[in-house]
Amino acid sequence: MNTTLDAQRVNTVTDPVIAQVVRSRLVAITDQMRLALQAVSGSPTVTEASDFFTGLYLPDGSFATMGHQVTFEAPPVGALIRHLLDSGRDLKDGDRIIGNDPFVGALHQNDLQMCAPLFVDGELVAWAGVMAHETDIGGMDFASWSPKAKEIWQEGLRIPAVKLVDRGELREDVLDMILEATRLPAQVGLDIRAFIATLNVAGERLTELCRRYGKNVVQTAMATMVDDSEATLRRRLLELPDGVVHTRDFLEHDGHSNELYVVDLVLTKQDDSLIFDFSGSSGQAAGFVNCSRAGLIGGVAGALIPTLGFGIPWNDGLLRPTEIVAPDGLICTALPPAPVGSATVETVWVVSNVVSAALNRLLAATPKFAHRAQAVNSGTMATFNLSGRNQFGEKFGLHLMDPLAGGFGAFMAHDGQDAAGPINTPCPSIADVEVNEQGTPLVYLYRRLAKDTGGAGRRRGGLGAEVALTISVNEAEALVMTHGAEVPNSAGLSGGLPGGVIRQSLAQGILHNSGQTAILAGALSGITEDAPGFENLGSKPGAFPLTSSDVFAVTWQGGGGMGDPLDRNPEELLEDIRRDVVSTAAARDTYGVVLTSSTSGRVTGWDETGTSQLRRALRAARLGKAPEMVKESCLELDSALPPAGLTTGESWLPLSDRLRAIQAVDETWRVETVDGAVLSNGSTRWREGAHAFALELPPRVGSTLHEKLTVTGWACPLTGSLLAVDIHEKASSPFHDLELNISAGSRAAELTFQA
Amino acid sequence: MTLETTSRAQLTGNETSTDLPDDTTGWAIGTDVGGTFTDLWLRAPSGKSFVCKSPTTADVVTGVINAVHLAAEIAGLSTENMCRRVSRFGHGTTVGLNALLTGRSARVGLVTTQGFGDVLEIGRLRRGTAGLNGLDLGDYFLRGRTAPLVPRNLVVEVTERVNPQGEIVTPLDLGSARRALETLRDEGVEAVAVCLLWATENASHEAAVAELVKEILPDAFVSVSHDIAPSVGEYARASTTAANAALGPVAGHYLVKLETELRTLGMEAPIMMTTNAGGVVPAATLTASPVKGLLSGPASCVVAGQSLGKTLNQPNVLTLDVGGTSFDVGVVVNGAPLLRDEVTFGGADMRVPSVDIASIGAGGGSIAAVTDGILTVGPRSAGATPGPVCYGKGGTEPTTTDADLVLGVLDPDSFGSGGIRLDVDAASRALEEKIGKPLGLNAQESARAVRELFDSAMADLLRSVTIERGHDPREFTLVAGGGSGPSHAWAMCRELGLDGFVVPATATAQSAFGAGTSDLRTTASRTGYIRLSPGLEPDETHALTLCAALEDARDRALAAIPDPESSTLQYTAAVRYRGQAHHLDVGLDAAPDAATLSKFLARFESEYELLFGKGAGFREAGFEILSVRATAALASAAPGASTAGEAFEFRGVRGVIFDDPAAPDTTTVYGCSWPAADQSVAGPCLIQLPGCVVVVPPGGTATTDAHGAIHVKVGN
Repeated sequence: MNTTLDAQRVNTVTDPVIAQVVRSRLVAITDQMRLALQAVSGSPTVTEASDFFTGLYLPDGSFATMGHQVTFEAPPVGALIRHLLDSGRDLKDGDRIIGNDPFVGALHQNDLQMCAPLFVDGELVAWAGVMAHETDIGGMDFASWSPKAKEIWQEGLRIPAVKLVDRGELREDVLDMILEATRLPAQVGLDIRAFIATLNVAGERLTELCRRYGKNVVQTAMATMVDDSEATLRRRLLELPDGVVHTRDFLEHDGHSNELYVVDLVLTKQDDSLIFDFSGSSGQAAGFVNCSRAGLIGGVAGALIPTLGFGIPWNDGLLRPTEIVAPDGLICTALPPAPVGSATVETVWVVSNVVSAALNRLLAATPKFAHRAQAVNSGTMATFNLSGRNQFGEKFGLHLMDPLAGGFGAFMAHDGQDAAGPINTPCPSIADVEVNEQGTPLVYLYRRLAKDTGGAGRRRGGLGAEVALTISVNEAEALVMTHGAEVPNSAGLSGGLPGGVIRQSLAQGILHNSGQTAILAGALSGITEDAPGFENLGSKPGAFPLTSSDVFAVTWQGGGGMGDPLDRNPEELLEDIRRDVVSTAAARDTYGVVLTSSTSGRVTGWDETGTSQLRRALRAARLGKAPEMVKESCLELDSALPPAGLTTGESWLPLSDRLRAIQAVDETWRVETVDGAVLSNGSTRWREGAHAFALELPPRVGSTLHEKLTVTGWACPLTGSLLAVDIHEKASSPFHDLELNISAGSRAAELTFQA
Repeated sequence: MTLETTSRAQLTGNETSTDLPDDTTGWAIGTDVGGTFTDLWLRAPSGKSFVCKSPTTADVVTGVINAVHLAAEIAGLSTENMCRRVSRFGHGTTVGLNALLTGRSARVGLVTTQGFGDVLEIGRLRRGTAGLNGLDLGDYFLRGRTAPLVPRNLVVEVTERVNPQGEIVTPLDLGSARRALETLRDEGVEAVAVCLLWATENASHEAAVAELVKEILPDAFVSVSHDIAPSVGEYARASTTAANAALGPVAGHYLVKLETELRTLGMEAPIMMTTNAGGVVPAATLTASPVKGLLSGPASCVVAGQSLGKTLNQPNVLTLDVGGTSFDVGVVVNGAPLLRDEVTFGGADMRVPSVDIASIGAGGGSIAAVTDGILTVGPRSAGATPGPVCYGKGGTEPTTTDADLVLGVLDPDSFGSGGIRLDVDAASRALEEKIGKPLGLNAQESARAVRELFDSAMADLLRSVTIERGHDPREFTLVAGGGSGPSHAWAMCRELGLDGFVVPATATAQSAFGAGTSDLRTTASRTGYIRLSPGLEPDETHALTLCAALEDARDRALAAIPDPESSTLQYTAAVRYRGQAHHLDVGLDAAPDAATLSKFLARFESEYELLFGKGAGFREAGFEILSVRATAALASAAPGASTAGEAFEFRGVRGVIFDDPAAPDTTTVYGCSWPAADQSVAGPCLIQLPGCVVVVPPGGTATTDAHGAIHVKVGN
């Protein structure tokens, strides 16, 4: 009975039902790969943090399925497969190839990747791929990323593409070579076994699927999945206005000196395609912060997939409408001998920041999607590694995943979530404090949300978290590095402020008495990183010994804010105060809300008149005017309501909270604020008419700004309402971030509201 | 999906009073409160049984009492007369679950160690994606929908610290605790959860805080983490403790009221509550730890399958329950349901031993749709309102029930027996319009497409709980329950290569049956951390650590068993390769020594390789043992055979589409409410039971046994 049915099915390659059943099975197989990997792996990066990738690939290396895993890891294994195909390697059934070369496809050497050509009846039907971050793969320093590195050869074992399993037989000699190169052979050994198990699961299940439905059906289904996602994304792109978006972000310190590096993006969106041009970025750095071209592709994919791929199956189709332009030798297209050890948390991450910032500017200018426009999520991941001998006397090395707990950027429609994680991690997870204390020498003094780190705005960015740590063994070696201690990478949107910056500090010897009792008794009585004895470590202190009398404290970035903080509903701010996520000082200085309190000092509410007056005064100060000299600002920001300066027959397109591009009856365009100030004519270069002023960021965000950076705020000249916040080099002026194509018949014109 | 729409009841079984002589005692009743119906199962010592349903009421208790009155009516006795004869009253309810879901739970304050008050806010970052599945996980705009169980302003911190060895590093500052609790008192909390770091290794600080709560908030319900969820990992422990505290006042009230009302009716039998771990415990036990009964309904369903397996002498059972909105699968291996330590509920990780139930959002009410040319079924559901299109209650989107109707599986006239006529034409039109048009199919082809996709999704889940865990599904007996399970099981058998399945007479009330029949069973766990660095063998010190943990777990497991002497005990320990996050629960001796521990590790390795393939083991990494679990059980009496039943009644012949939408098979339709033994019919045929239809495909056969169960062979 089955056979008859199956014979029917094989002949119906185009049967939509069979196609969907096969698609579902392919997704299920990918999930089974994930389960196999997570179950067997010994790396906390895999088991706890989902810092890995599993997927099935078309014969040409395009990924057809992926789990909801680290998005910037989507392209690398495909690059490894293409490398194998290009090199004409003889591949046999049962081969399993391992690699980690950043100049082939990996983001850095820690990204150990494996792929398997899957043959059915002698024909290459598909590939399976897996990749995970290994804590150590050798090199000059523990963790394979060293601020001291000047060349990639100092950063550990580099495997271009090597058969680890040859026709089903594990090559023990190759495995031995790899395990000899790492400082953590047990962990890497378990992971490589997990990789093999994962690829075997994929091979067995895919073969079954082909037997059940036929090779053609399976292959067609896989190819169609990719085509469909591409088509859906292209349709979605046609719904966005065309134009050019320019965004820029920075990272400080290359490991050797506190240089400032630029990642510059000019995004051209035309019809159903996107061109990302990074030509304006800095040249490659002397230290390990660079990324290779593989990293750049990963960084673009990392932000593009979640920002535009919502509701669409994630696969290579989402990357097809995209072209990346960047000459070799930039910080984001580094060439050997450039070291790239910390690429993922440095340049790759910053690439994702500018891509997110650019795409969200387009979403904000698309009425259908404006509600989901989002400020930048946790714009960095501050690394904390620790190695030495643990409390069990074993050699150990750990790569703390807690720094994922940065804040989410605010959405146009709601606040960003606290400690939600970065854009590249769809299902973030960190270990319990107890689990870390049980298996490692870490001792936590606190793990909590960090007040005032959420980017201020009408919608507030999510708070970042913070921890303070000491250790339960006498001494271990810490390796600490980040960017974003002097750069507020979690940029706001639409006049929202950036989220708080990284703060890393160390108090040496403050836990004087030997023994844990005294240590924690003293330390727990409300230690903070502002306490005496704490020294600010800046962004890249690198490796240093940590002892059981020291305390290391770090605060992670909050998410960017959305819209002018003075537009935040005071009731929502009051809830922030009640939850103690915003300080009363910030309520007054940043949000302009006058709180009322009881005699005991407890906040009871907010004062309407006082708040209105304070907000007006703060807006006036931006314009350098007396409060009575500025207009009361419009409080109704509904984008579907006609803006103040509209005349009959005109239509408008909201660009952000307070900016409206208006098309006149004669099809000329201008940009106005909702309060009626005309900022530009004939283009969306609205900064031409806005009021620029030196904006002072709140202390959590701006007190440690890099010496080469400054901040310019842009305000409505009539009301002083904040329209945008630009962080830029002192040596250069801010630029126009959004130039929509507003010619007659343009997409922008089609999107406008009519009164 | 069960299609009952009447306010009154679905009856099955031997409904006449003469079958149930009133001079017997030792009757058993099982009840289960679902969202729509309260199910009751009753069995007399003669082996005669029936099932009835009564609508669930807002206060829950009334619905249960109504079901009891209804059962008495069916039995032909006065309620008091029946209640006197009952010697076991089993009860399961989702009342706690619903309270938690709808925020009707108590106002809870949480006490944590200083510096860690954001344990629920940060939620291991897992709370943000809670409740999201499939494509929704890739939509960041949907994140963060679940609020923490306790809002930040009701979390207070106390100065104290214990280390992983259980040593007190910082003594509890009673002054800080007092101030913290006074804050909670001023906030008007009704319950207090206490979860301090490493309370699993040293409970004295939690105990001291609990004492202070009694003084400062004398009326508050208190939960302490070392008691509710004694395992390492503060997020799940705090969530479980907070959920328990939130449910405590609600559950306590409920159980007192239920017991009072049942006593008023003359019921003297103890009330036994079903638990997440499968099995029942005396109701009083759950008053203090209601979180242990949070998911008892689905667990009871698996236990019912386990019990049927025992009766049939089949140690390996797959239970499937296809309801209106979800498809739940349980796995019974060697006579015991697989358990898990943690479940995710209400956006939080809960650390309560639970029957391991895999679930997907696909059921009789699941909506089929075509988006961008892709057909999907679920997870959106039409629910009870508006329900499937064929109900004629305003539903416009076709569901799997509509597809089954168009395929001929459901009878428009007699299905549901509640007087509602199912509208085939409306279902056809909706399928053609919403599925057929975009895909170029007619109504019948569309219906087959929907069913095929629905079945394949369920088969994927069955695969993941069997093949992906190293079990061969062909070694299992498939027990099909729920409103749609018996009509789809044949297709799953095909997909997985099984030769057949079993439908119990209580198919649509399996949880009530489980509540009425399952063993008294308690589970307790205890931390016991042992780390074996690479190359080290277990020694006597390790054995002593485990023995101490086992003793504690055993004492706690036995505490709730009325007759500890007669109970059986089983032990497992959680073990993994050093550095892994996932562990296996492997059987352990009652008093292990170094030698038996070595054997234990060898067992772990062989089970591990069974799961992940030969050669996957990696002894070189070393081992970690995390905790132990003791399970105490007191077996309940085995169900007797039913002495009576009905013959299948011929109800007609109609076309049913199995494979070819253009060529329906001519299919005989039978009906019955409680099948008599030793019948045999050939497929293709349909057997209509109240609330469900058993589908026997062409080439298949169905036979019945002495317990009223229908055994279908699909003829693969």
